[in-house]
Amino acid sequence: MKDSIRKMHLASITDKFVKGQMSRRNFLMAAGKLGLGASALGMGMGRRPFTISQANAQEGLQPSADVIAWLKDVGKPFAGTTLKLATESTPPSNAINSQLKKYFEEATGIKVEIEVLPLEQVLQKLTLDVASSLGTYDLYYIDQSWAASFSQDVFDPREQIEAKADLAMPNYNIDDFLPALVDGICKYENRWVGVPYDIPIFIMIYRKDIYEKLGFKAPATFEELYNNSAAITKEMGPTTYGYAGQMKSGHYALECEWTSMLWGHGGSIFNADKKFVGNDEQGIAALDYYTKLRAIMPPGVDGWTWDGQGQAVAQGVAASMLSWGEFFPFFDDPTQTKVSGLCEVVIPPQPIALRKPADCGYGEIPGVGHQGGSSLAVSKYSKSPDAAWLFMQWATCADTQALITTLGGGTGPTRASVYDDPRVLANARVGAGTTRHLPVVRETIAKYMGSEPDLPEWAQLSSDTIPVSLGKYFAGSYSSSKQALDDIAAQVDAVMKG
Amino acid sequence: MAVTQVKRIAISDSPIPWLLPLVCLLVVFTIYPLIYNVWLSFHEFVPKKRTLKFVGMANWVQLWNDTRFWSALGVTFLYFFIALVFEIILGMAIAMLLDAELPGFGMLRATLSMTLVIPPAIAGMMFLLMEDPQFGVLPYLLNTMGLLDKSTPILATSSLALAGVLVAEIWQWTPFMVLIFMAGLRSLPAEPYEAAMIDGASSFQMFRRLTLPMMSKVIAVAVLLRGIDLFRVFDYVFVMTSGGPGTATYTVSLYAWQQTFSFLKWGYGATLSLVSLVMVMIMANIFIKVFKVRW
Repeated sequence: MKDSIRKMHLASITDKFVKGQMSRRNFLMAAGKLGLGASALGMGMGRRPFTISQANAQEGLQPSADVIAWLKDVGKPFAGTTLKLATESTPPSNAINSQLKKYFEEATGIKVEIEVLPLEQVLQKLTLDVASSLGTYDLYYIDQSWAASFSQDVFDPREQIEAKADLAMPNYNIDDFLPALVDGICKYENRWVGVPYDIPIFIMIYRKDIYEKLGFKAPATFEELYNNSAAITKEMGPTTYGYAGQMKSGHYALECEWTSMLWGHGGSIFNADKKFVGNDEQGIAALDYYTKLRAIMPPGVDGWTWDGQGQAVAQGVAASMLSWGEFFPFFDDPTQTKVSGLCEVVIPPQPIALRKPADCGYGEIPGVGHQGGSSLAVSKYSKSPDAAWLFMQWATCADTQALITTLGGGTGPTRASVYDDPRVLANARVGAGTTRHLPVVRETIAKYMGSEPDLPEWAQLSSDTIPVSLGKYFAGSYSSSKQALDDIAAQVDAVMKG
Repeated sequence: MAVTQVKRIAISDSPIPWLLPLVCLLVVFTIYPLIYNVWLSFHEFVPKKRTLKFVGMANWVQLWNDTRFWSALGVTFLYFFIALVFEIILGMAIAMLLDAELPGFGMLRATLSMTLVIPPAIAGMMFLLMEDPQFGVLPYLLNTMGLLDKSTPILATSSLALAGVLVAEIWQWTPFMVLIFMAGLRSLPAEPYEAAMIDGASSFQMFRRLTLPMMSKVIAVAVLLRGIDLFRVFDYVFVMTSGGPGTATYTVSLYAWQQTFSFLKWGYGATLSLVSLVMVMIMANIFIKVFKVRW
């Protein structure tokens, strides 16, 4: 078969697969015959336990020739070096590990070993690495909540660009990273703790068909969200409920959703005096709203993290969720869900009031679009910091990010230019790994993003103190929302005092 | 070393050369970690400074005042006793039933032991799905029997969550008890039973006066083995409830894991682990003495 014909056929079957006109199995078989590796469809979905099929598997999706040429040129002295990175299972890491790193390795001769681990194990390994200064890992995957803790253990990329001009990637353009993400994810006391690498963010995802059937518009306010959800539950329950939450007791997911509601009601976790104020008037109103919303959710919601929440929408059990945008490409996959093409996205509901960042503590930025995310940085203890710096630039450059976004299932890019990349725009259609939600993601990042506070105790507060007590509250262990929040306030004070 | 010396060791009656490799392994993998754990319990890791800081008795004082620890200890004991009672009673009942040589019982015995090869975390996930209020089979069956409203989330209801986890535990480990009890039953002499039957004893009398006393040592060993495991329960709770709702299913092991790995409080985590270890050792020794368990 001629190469041109093979490519045309490959493009044709990919198009059919994306549109849901071809099963995943048949696509894989046909693609295999055409020389496309099965790994092309094996992308994991970051923090989610189910997998995504990427939309575009065409051979055209390859690194730019300029990038490869630069890697070949600058990477020669480092051939034979092995780099190590410990990371959580996120779309960028999975895309790089399974499909893209081979291009880097071939061009430079540098071997890259990526360990994909649960988040707490990544933290454990990083902590041991910096404590011992062993330099076991050359690159650090740094969750946004750890930026403060590791700020002195990594190179500031701006300094590296200046200090190592001979290793600087042409057109890397560090200013291309979305400023809101730089502030929210990797900036700590004027230092850049790496560059933004991954950006899960809350957006409003809803079933357009159900909304239209009942004559609703997309929820623009919290009141509308509740009213629409309650009406859907009343009309279509117990088969379909209006809203699904992520409310597992003691899990970080519950804290994320609560925080979004808290910010949306004009509250904040800390005030400017660095005191917990989630139990103020706005905090109580937010928890009361959350309680009201909980009543119209499916019965299993108290045991769901974001995983159960996503599955509830994917299987048609729930008609809406305010949650991570990363879910959307999965929902559009006809081989994985019942709702392909039925979901739509809009920006999060407008807040009833919004507290100013200046009135909050520890760098907290109120916003309904709760932001997660991580940065990628070169370790100061690395034995091959220059080779690691090359990899970091390649892994976070615009070209690689465009490939991650298209191959990795429509995850949100952290660079402005990638949102306008033709390869990314070409996937903005209904089908597996769609990117049609990205304009909403981009707008949410720019205008509605909420960032958690940065303090060393935050890991304990966000993954234990707050969600455990909220879980107790929803299980009926407190007599009122005020009592629950007052108890949380007392516990937070105790943690802060050490 | 001279060849003759090597030969002399190889044919030595002294146990030392033969035990030395095992002793070395014990020192490396048991004694040293234990000593290090004790040392660690008087220190605390300071993430900002990346060092261990000596804190004296602070971790032990914190433990004493830590309501979360006492709550976790209460849950652990509750879990321990309920699971043990159910596993002993069910295990004995099933063992006696399967002891009869009826057609198909051989297959049943083989099937029973299959639960033991499933990793506890997987069993936990199975029951997590089975107890889902949306599509789980257990809420459906309980609802059919009129015992539970179908929409009640078992694992997210304070009063039911521990029972929900215990179901998985009991399902997986009762067969272990069955196997031990069956081995015990098969080793019992037939003569006392023949004499009792001639005297007109009922089945219950024979069980109470003969089977139980003769099986007591076997039961004691089974209780000891399961008891030690139960006190360290982690997998089911971690997978099914993460200790929730609230702290309703928080066990000491889960709390120690969380303090060590999630919050990097290595010193406090070591303290919790040590307390757990000491409690297991004390209880096991009391049990061994009271029931005269012989290995």
